[in-house]
Amino acid sequence: MTAESTNTGLSLYKTDARTKRRNAAEKRFRIYGMLAVGFGVLALIVLLTSVLGTGAGSFRQTFLTMPVALDAAALDKKGNRDPAEMAKVTTIGYQKILEKALIAELTEQKLIPEGMSTKDIGGLISKEAPAQLRNKVLANPDLVGQTISFRALANGRIDGYFKGRVTMESAALDSNVSPAQLELVDKMRGANLLGLGFNWGFVFDPDASELRPEAAGLGVAILGSLYMMIIVLVLSLPLGVAASIYLEEFAPTNRWTDLIEVNIANLAAVPSIVFGILGLAVFINFANMPQSSPLVGGLVLTLMTLPTIIIATRAALKAVPPSIKDAALGVGASKTQTVFHHVLPLAMPGILTGTIIGLAQALGETAPLLLIGMVAFVRDYPGAPPEGFLDPASALPVQVYNFTQRADPAFIERASGAIIVLLVFLLTMNILAIILRRRFERRW
Amino acid sequence: MNDMTLTERALEATEIKFAARDVQVYYGTSHAIKDVNIDILDKTVTAFIGPSGCGKSTFLRCLNRMNDTIDICRVEGDILLDGEDIYDKKVDPVQLRAKVGMVFQKPNPFPKSIYDNVAYGPKIHGLTRNKAELDEVVESSLRKAALWNEVKDRLDSPGTGLSGGQQQRLCIARAVATSPEVLLMDEPCSALDPIATAQVEELIDELRENFSVVIVTHSMQQAARVSQRTAFFHLGNLVEFGDTTQIFTNPKDPRTESYITGRIG
Repeated sequence: MTAESTNTGLSLYKTDARTKRRNAAEKRFRIYGMLAVGFGVLALIVLLTSVLGTGAGSFRQTFLTMPVALDAAALDKKGNRDPAEMAKVTTIGYQKILEKALIAELTEQKLIPEGMSTKDIGGLISKEAPAQLRNKVLANPDLVGQTISFRALANGRIDGYFKGRVTMESAALDSNVSPAQLELVDKMRGANLLGLGFNWGFVFDPDASELRPEAAGLGVAILGSLYMMIIVLVLSLPLGVAASIYLEEFAPTNRWTDLIEVNIANLAAVPSIVFGILGLAVFINFANMPQSSPLVGGLVLTLMTLPTIIIATRAALKAVPPSIKDAALGVGASKTQTVFHHVLPLAMPGILTGTIIGLAQALGETAPLLLIGMVAFVRDYPGAPPEGFLDPASALPVQVYNFTQRADPAFIERASGAIIVLLVFLLTMNILAIILRRRFERRW
Repeated sequence: MNDMTLTERALEATEIKFAARDVQVYYGTSHAIKDVNIDILDKTVTAFIGPSGCGKSTFLRCLNRMNDTIDICRVEGDILLDGEDIYDKKVDPVQLRAKVGMVFQKPNPFPKSIYDNVAYGPKIHGLTRNKAELDEVVESSLRKAALWNEVKDRLDSPGTGLSGGQQQRLCIARAVATSPEVLLMDEPCSALDPIATAQVEELIDELRENFSVVIVTHSMQQAARVSQRTAFFHLGNLVEFGDTTQIFTNPKDPRTESYITGRIG
């Protein structure tokens, strides 16, 4: 060995050029890493602030609270309290009652501005409120004749005023709301006639039309997504696990299994909209299943999720040490016993994690659902399973897409709110995956 | 080789347990075992020695058909257990493995309780009718594996929590629990420290009373200490097979002599 190639004679206190270069390279790499992580965290923060900032408002809603006299002469002309008869009074009748009640309340509080028409005052109330009042009365006909305290949704523009979306300047240009109305609303707020409250309706109510953003909710979408997840779980978990076990433990390695393996890997990378087209062609056009139904959505998402689950399950099965398999075979367990008594339990955490990640992916999928009609405007809740699987429903991500398509700016808030709900579900599922993995994890 | 203590061992049993005739093993195209003929006696410890890759483990795994799990492995010739060809089409390897137990190189207890580890074999083979009988089998197996006193108070704790030597004895107990007739051991002490090794070796000597034991080992001292018969494998050939004393003191083949004196291997 020559003197150059070794460090003989050099003090350890002095860093030689080569070591310096290596240390510098390491430092550089660390900085790159930190930059990459920092960028990711920043992107996440920006996303969350933007979504939370815009969407948080949808969980609070402006309500008008006032006593409403349910006039028997208007609501139940025959006076027999028969819901079938009372149903003849449409929402227009109830709207008049609400208008009257509001004017009465405003008069009492001496808040009525001069020259404001009844129509303008009634315009403060959401068009959805009469329908809600009507439902309430029809469900409980004994209310007729009484004076009840009713919490009515305020019009979307009024709601927007309190959330900063509508200003005096914009109201002056808006045909739907006038500055005079906003001034009145300010006074009403001072008199505690009107205020913001938590909006359960956003989570439980069905979608509402373009003109009533204040009433739009996610109830049908959440139920539709839930139904689809049930179908995906019930179909893809057993199918995926069975296929993985066969491929991993029983199938001979030959050209056919190689081909299947390559295809599964490719299927996982197929754009999801392709599965939508497949679903449209096979399930709806060929098998004549109903459009917009959670059943078709669930089947399409199952096809999409299967490769993910198979890949995750095979990886989990592969990770089980062969020594455990040898041990089981060595005491005379059959192949099936080995798999079900030893390999599968050990692979369970990995399988569950893969399944939940696959489900989360399916929950957030939009494109294939657009093609099978889940983009439709659905106001009726699907029925209870199993028949409910065939009823039209919406889905959370599709609902987000739907909201963003609408003109009223109030729907921007709704869309972000729907994203928050979706993210909460995804987060819950991922936390569940982590807990399950911790719980079932065993060391060997 | 000073520590070799070759005690005189009487071979009481002369009954042949395993008889191998012209056994060939192929992995794909490579010929791993060539023309092996061997008679393994009952109630005897037979040691397979030889350098790495000589085929001793491969041959051992043929004896309970563990090689079946390897797709490309092909076995030719006859291996007879009590006169029955174990590679016959009618033979189910599962039944064979209940008769021919195996202990592996690395201790591999199931990630279950100590009790469940031992009880697993009897359970799947339906050897016991009730819990009491199963308890009895577990206890006697653990006693045979000289582990009972150490674990009797914690049968419910995981088998993987034991020390390496205890784990290996647990694996022996597990193999013994199905009352096999032959016990195959593939370098059972290679992952153990000398004290644990001594315990396992002592155990092997005791097991000889009930079973025919075949042990693959890299340690010639170990072969000399525990076995009555020794087979020397080299490059897939069975070079020499005879009484352990004879192999170590008076080898007939020059290759055996080279190996045991440390010139090859």
